[in-house]
Amino acid sequence: MKILILGAGAIGGYVGGRLHQSGADVTFLVRAARHEALQRDGLVIKSTKGDVTQKVKTVTNGGPNGSIGGGPYDVVLLTCKAYDLDSAMDAIAPAVGAGTTIVPLLNGMRHLEALDARFGADKVVGGLARVGVAMDGQGHILHTSPFAVISFGERDGTAARAALTELDAAIKASGVDGGLNANIVQDLWDKWIMLCTLAATCCLMRGSSGDVLEADEGLAIVLETVEEGRMVGAAAGHDPGEKGLKTIRSFLTVKGSKFTASMLHDLEKGAMVEADHIVGDMIARARKAGIATPNLRLAYANLQVYLAKRARKLAK
Amino acid sequence: MKILILGAGAVGGYWGARLTQAGIDTTFLLREKRAGKVRAEGLVVKSPKGDAVVPVKVVTKGSEGGPYDVIVLACKAYDLDSAMESIAPAVGPDTVIVPMLNGHAHFAALDGRFGAAHVAGGLARISGMLGPNGEILHSGASGVSFGERDGKPARPSLVELDAACRKAGIDGGLNDNINQDLWDKWIMLSTIAGMCASMRGTIGDIMESEDGAAIVAETLEESRKVAVAEGQPPSDKVVANLKSMLTAKDSKAVASILGDMEKGGAAEGKQIVGDMLVRARKHGIAAPNLRYAYAHLQTYEARRARGALK
Repeated sequence: MKILILGAGAIGGYVGGRLHQSGADVTFLVRAARHEALQRDGLVIKSTKGDVTQKVKTVTNGGPNGSIGGGPYDVVLLTCKAYDLDSAMDAIAPAVGAGTTIVPLLNGMRHLEALDARFGADKVVGGLARVGVAMDGQGHILHTSPFAVISFGERDGTAARAALTELDAAIKASGVDGGLNANIVQDLWDKWIMLCTLAATCCLMRGSSGDVLEADEGLAIVLETVEEGRMVGAAAGHDPGEKGLKTIRSFLTVKGSKFTASMLHDLEKGAMVEADHIVGDMIARARKAGIATPNLRLAYANLQVYLAKRARKLAK
Repeated sequence: MKILILGAGAVGGYWGARLTQAGIDTTFLLREKRAGKVRAEGLVVKSPKGDAVVPVKVVTKGSEGGPYDVIVLACKAYDLDSAMESIAPAVGPDTVIVPMLNGHAHFAALDGRFGAAHVAGGLARISGMLGPNGEILHSGASGVSFGERDGKPARPSLVELDAACRKAGIDGGLNDNINQDLWDKWIMLSTIAGMCASMRGTIGDIMESEDGAAIVAETLEESRKVAVAEGQPPSDKVVANLKSMLTAKDSKAVASILGDMEKGGAAEGKQIVGDMLVRARKHGIAAPNLRYAYAHLQTYEARRARGALK
């Protein structure tokens, strides 16, 4: 099985690196500068599960007739940021053949609709990543969490296609946890509700979840925001249920927690943020379903103020 | 008449420097560090109304140089407790205290400590800030107003203070409607401070978000309802003016609290936003936007306390 990974950033670099290390046939689709750096230095992973530096296969797009070398690919792992989805779809398009399965590891839900429209729903499965990982200024992959999980599955809950079964075996061999997931869409919703609340409250309040809980009304605001997301999930037929909610709340209500949305880290670096994808899209779905989301509305306004200021700064 | 001014920031410093220049007997009560600098260098004022270096009288204890007829409190609201300690020895039987603080919470504290008869109402419209060397960078408005909170004719010391202000070129002066003006200013401040702090931008920045104008207008309405419930309803004209000012596209208007936060400093969130929220609760008024703004300010303080501000 041939796997193409779009990007050798934090998640793609880590998962792809582990797959390659365990003998899977992995190719990274990267920009020219990253291609050169990887060819020169190899892919460097510093991880709680062991460091490794290894040569990896890389391709850049723009081959003959826009082709991508080494194809066709059986699986394309998509690990870009949501706001880069359009250019990511353009980049992988030449690598998508009749038998290709696209496994997106993005947060939220909106990308699935965009991928369906571009490549056809039958080529697109559900996928999610839970890895505490970042890339430093030298392009090294820094994996800091004790866990590294990716899971994927058919969105309609039917038995997994052969490519996913094979990917499952490769993931298991690589030491990354997770693999096939018969419940992937509900898990995506649960994660989105958690992440949307975390990103909305951390950015809205400009603090870690523990800082937010120090405010008199911090806990109430967090729980209300979870409920806003739950109602949107329920309207889509994906209520997390009591067990799911318990897990979501358990992440978000730890006193003194330094747990912080990566969106806030991005925001405080002055970087682009996935505001539209994580918060804006939740509000759009709420509006369609007639659900009031007062807390998310405030959070989205806050993020839009940030984006307006950022755009102005970049224009200078 | 002897005037004591606690604080030599933009408001107290500008006002006191102009009074001193006009020959009014004015003394500053300052902390040691600021006192040493002001004694050595005078008050340095940069102003569209004329730059000046003004040698001023400085004490570091309220027991020095008194008794005073008028004590102006020009500190931040979160420094009120220590300010009251400092001025206590300077308060005689005929002293009137004129607090220039934002919000309303300080009145209960001052009345409790010194007796309501000693406390007048005051508000400042002096725009400016302290420069990096402690110089007063005055940027425009230079008004103060003060008066009896019950609307009665002003006591003689306030009449004298009014005359002194005129002589010193300070606008405003006696105000027989001070309590309403304080409320009008507070509903403006709770809105602009709550919104600029929690959205982290100027009014113009906030207007660039889809719901920004609606959110600001709602917040103003929350505060307006509180003022009505407290028996201080702003006039329709005041509300209309505030609304157009606070929702003006491309406005560079911003609350000074945001500047304090961006420097990692203390913020008057509790007095300006928190106390408005407390009063909303007391009257059963829903104030979701003030609630959010105050949670933001409290989160800021929590993060500041653990030394983790960016």
